[in-house]
Amino acid sequence: MLGRLTEGLSARTLILLTLLLAVLLAAPFFASDYLLTVLILILYFAYVGQAWNIMMGFAGHLSLGHALYVGLGAYTAAALYVHYGIGPWIGLLVAIPIAALAGAFIGYLAFRFKVGGVYFAILTIAFAEFARVGFDHLAWTKGSSGLFLPVAQYSKNDLWHLRGQPVMFYYVLLVAVVAAFIGCRALLQSRIGYFWLAIREDEEAARSAGIDTFRYKMIAVVISAAMTSFAGVIYAFYYNNLFPEQVFHISRSIEIILGPIVGGVGTLFGPILGAFVLTGLAESLTEGLHAIGIDIPGAKQVFYGICLLFVIMALPDGVWPWVKRRLGLSERAP
Amino acid sequence: MTNKTPRNKAGVSRRTVTAGLGALGLTAGLAPFNIARAAGPLKVGVLLPRSGYQAGIGQDCQRGVDIAAGILKDLGYPELEIVNADTETNVDVARSRAEKLIGEGAQLLVGAFDSGQSSAIAQVAEQKGIPFVINIAAAPPITEQGYKFVFRNFPTAGMILRDAFVDQKEVFELTGASPKTAVFMHVNDTFGTAMAGGIGAVMPKFNMPYKILETIPYDPAARDLSVELAKAKATGAEILLMVSRLNDAILLTREMVKQRWTPTSVMSMGPGWYEDQYLKTLGKLSDGPISYVPWYDPNKKLSKTLETALAKSSPGVNLNTNHVYTFEALLVAADAYKRAGSTDPKALADAIRKTDIKDNSSIGPGISFDAKGQNDKIVGGAIQNRDGKLVTVAPKSAANAKPEWPLKPYNQRS
Repeated sequence: MLGRLTEGLSARTLILLTLLLAVLLAAPFFASDYLLTVLILILYFAYVGQAWNIMMGFAGHLSLGHALYVGLGAYTAAALYVHYGIGPWIGLLVAIPIAALAGAFIGYLAFRFKVGGVYFAILTIAFAEFARVGFDHLAWTKGSSGLFLPVAQYSKNDLWHLRGQPVMFYYVLLVAVVAAFIGCRALLQSRIGYFWLAIREDEEAARSAGIDTFRYKMIAVVISAAMTSFAGVIYAFYYNNLFPEQVFHISRSIEIILGPIVGGVGTLFGPILGAFVLTGLAESLTEGLHAIGIDIPGAKQVFYGICLLFVIMALPDGVWPWVKRRLGLSERAP
Repeated sequence: MTNKTPRNKAGVSRRTVTAGLGALGLTAGLAPFNIARAAGPLKVGVLLPRSGYQAGIGQDCQRGVDIAAGILKDLGYPELEIVNADTETNVDVARSRAEKLIGEGAQLLVGAFDSGQSSAIAQVAEQKGIPFVINIAAAPPITEQGYKFVFRNFPTAGMILRDAFVDQKEVFELTGASPKTAVFMHVNDTFGTAMAGGIGAVMPKFNMPYKILETIPYDPAARDLSVELAKAKATGAEILLMVSRLNDAILLTREMVKQRWTPTSVMSMGPGWYEDQYLKTLGKLSDGPISYVPWYDPNKKLSKTLETALAKSSPGVNLNTNHVYTFEALLVAADAYKRAGSTDPKALADAIRKTDIKDNSSIGPGISFDAKGQNDKIVGGAIQNRDGKLVTVAPKSAANAKPEWPLKPYNQRS
């Protein structure tokens, strides 16, 4: 199993991966609370970026509405907890099928009626917006007034109920990121992965080669939606409050896709590196502007936009392929 | 020999820039280790959404911060060291900024205008044992969580609605009006939908003289509201009950002029109709609507002080809820610091719990907090647009003018 997972990785890649994992495992022991919060954000975006990457990077379908699956996961688990005291892990067992069904429904509509490209992207936005408006009126989840989870000062971490300090969420997300990375690598190395890549490169040709494109695109959207819903559950129990306006907003979907785009769409390390680059850049800019005494609202966003522009212009394939070359990692490395 | 890191004329290589950014990030992350809590002025972290889609309101709240230092000094309060942070209208950022401010030594937090962001900050504050004074946020659950370090000097959504109906009744009593019918128009965004639901639930308890003939929701981003207004006019309702935003309030007023309809009164239960931009854009046409909102008591000494200070720092800007409640949050901080005589967060929280400020600005007997950390004595107000200014017409205790009723026909304004 382990041999299969590490197949094709050079020794240097394995050493670097081990080092990175060791640093991430040790980080909470050295990081300040603020840095830990930033790291949690990075891991969150790395995870949802990886889930989105299955849709876009592997299967070649641009989703601009992944906030839908985050929201469905978050609301399902939070509402079950608030109304029936059902813990998040059991809630997850309900949240995943709901998000997967939503993904399957959107996928069926799109793929059955040959909706692709930007039209597919618009369809995903539309469903996220439907959900936002719908949840605004759904009394069971407190509508637009917001669903609040009960909170208290936690001296101990209760992993079963996800009630505890940020460090617990950090490790849960770290495990999720590692699992998503391994899972995606396994998928890519499987027959499904090759079919996805074939569909991404040329769907007509893939169909001509006998690949059931409808089926494999459906698998991609269902896996991606299900994975994303897990991030929603963590989001709900970390922030403890949910507002449809914030959870389903299109800006949330954009945040999800920025990491993989900057890191490298279709690569396994792209979403992770992208999350580090973007969140690190945002925090560095805040700190930098503060250090030189600039306190103009929106200045950070302007600089952030300029930096992103430069990254995308200079490295159109994303940062990871460039880093991979610079580090001299094998071509077959992730 | 090849140069592996090509340098530009300034001698800055890509590697240097990368290293610099990395160092900056590391410094940002590790900085809190080097900062000890020093004695001196109370360090207050102010978190507001100064960019993002709530930027306008966040920057308006910031005006309340900007005038605070001088006024607090004049009132004899100790100096505050204010550190501003932008939440970027984002819950994630609000939480990480709160962590950062506390890490940098903030002994008290103030903010954050929005319920979601305030809730995220409240969790951090509670976990760290740092007092958090909420300036504006109306979601009731924030002070229902049993927090020990979270205080809110702003009415909850339920209180806002309750006071709106109480003040409406008072206006009817003062003017002798008894409207029998109303048409209710509201924006269909999160805020508008929540208000519409709340009004539907609360109104029956108040035995209002009017009944709502029709409810017309509309898109706050609509460029044309002629159909919606024609529909409202066709109901023949006496009063127009509104929950709106700024742009649609302007659009609807223009439509009323175009369609030659002047209801007996426009009664707003939200923003838009009293905002500076509404008054400036519409001039004489802006006169008359009454807004039932959290407000300040213009007769209180501190309100006059705030008006003077704001006129100096931001000429042409009318004092409003955003300025007053943000200022009062800092007033609570300064008052607690003065009584506690310490920057110790626990001592500050204990002092805030015992707050009893009579000389404040918002409507009501003053600032104090119940066991949950909520100022449950705040009262909402009714304000009417009059010649480009705002006058308070209810409650009687805070009024500085009598309500004008009915609305002067739009075609008779010159």
